[in-house]
Amino acid sequence: MPDTKPATLTINGRELELDVPPFYPLAVVLREELGLTGTKTGCFEGRCGACTVIVDGETVVACIYPVGLAYGKSVLTVESLAEPTGPLSSLQQNFLEKGAVQCGVCTPGMLMTLTNLLERTPQPSEDEVRDALSGNLCRCTGYRKIIEATLATAEAAR
Amino acid sequence: MARAKDAYVPELIHPASVDEAAAELARLGDEGEPIAGATWVMLGPLHKRPTKMHYVAVAGLAELRALELNGATATIGAAVTHSQLADGIDGEGPLAALAHAAVGTPRAIANVATVAGNICARPYPAADIVAALLALDAQVDARIGDDASSVDLGEFMRGAPTPGSLVTRVRATAIGQAARSCYERLTIRASGEEAVASVALAVDVDGQTVREARVVFGAVEAQARRCREAEDALIGDALSADSAAAAGRVAAEELDVAEGPDAPVDYKRRVLPGLMKRAVARLAAGGEDA
Repeated sequence: MPDTKPATLTINGRELELDVPPFYPLAVVLREELGLTGTKTGCFEGRCGACTVIVDGETVVACIYPVGLAYGKSVLTVESLAEPTGPLSSLQQNFLEKGAVQCGVCTPGMLMTLTNLLERTPQPSEDEVRDALSGNLCRCTGYRKIIEATLATAEAAR
Repeated sequence: MARAKDAYVPELIHPASVDEAAAELARLGDEGEPIAGATWVMLGPLHKRPTKMHYVAVAGLAELRALELNGATATIGAAVTHSQLADGIDGEGPLAALAHAAVGTPRAIANVATVAGNICARPYPAADIVAALLALDAQVDARIGDDASSVDLGEFMRGAPTPGSLVTRVRATAIGQAARSCYERLTIRASGEEAVASVALAVDVDGQTVREARVVFGAVEAQARRCREAEDALIGDALSADSAAAAGRVAAEELDVAEGPDAPVDYKRRVLPGLMKRAVARLAAGGEDA
């Protein structure tokens, strides 16, 4: 008989046991069960990318990703990028310095998408950054500075 | 968010093997379905689509994640993702239509959306992968318990879903000896949107002359389908903007164009010649976005 309720997963390096129905969206579990409110929810249709997290090395939109599919996997949220009192990640620091944050709702999803891009493609072209952001909407229309911050992060890592 | 939390109560079953998954689905029959990336299922309640009480998770089964490429042939595991197709298939080779169809989806969706999910999601007129697979004469392999079967994708799409069935793989083959293929989609925004209309084009050329052709339109009718009249308009001529536009005009007359959420019927008819021209230009450019 197949296993129906394997309920452990690793979130930001910490293994957790959860007692939630498997079709709860991962974003809801992160925010409401675990208090990881850095992950934002916008559309709840997988279109805006505000809830983007990284599961086993790949970005997913957590609003339509059932937590049951994350069992046994490693989940990274925006809280993984820096300790509460520690230095920001290089990308976060460049977001700050380049003015890439406006209202901030899209920022965690942008950061996770671009962190993942820079891991896969350490020196992306501007087109590659734009393409990576195709699933992350910014209603403040601040894409220009987000792209500049990403390219500056890549440049600094040369 | 109470709406989302309250909506999803089904059971999620994690089989350890394809055999186990097939057995579970056969046992569940109409009460269950396979689930991979879950994008279709999670949006089901929002779009008032029927949902099941039991889902069998298949995305983690290695046998279903295998992508085997052999020249003009691809054997694609049911749980191969759009990202795998985009990264693994040569965008200038005979199977390029599949790679082109897979890159239109934002990465965070493409990382979980699967080939079998695309062909089993219905009604979904804008299913990019389906159109590309139809142009590549795809066959669908499926199991009910221990019983395996294989069916032409066109026939699979026309039939009703079979309760208890598990799609295991899809086999795609480019036509002819000098095969080329591509996929073009028209969206309202540059990226991240479902197609208003799309075309998958596969041709076998003899010198400059089209010897054989597959032309499949997506997001135009209720399901993607081949347009043999448009194929006939291409065969025997050189691939050119003029022949492409003529084939597009034939398609606009022959297809039973359905209104979509972003475009009325007349708009869709009018864009088909231009879409065909873009597809032919892309073939001429060797797969590069022309």
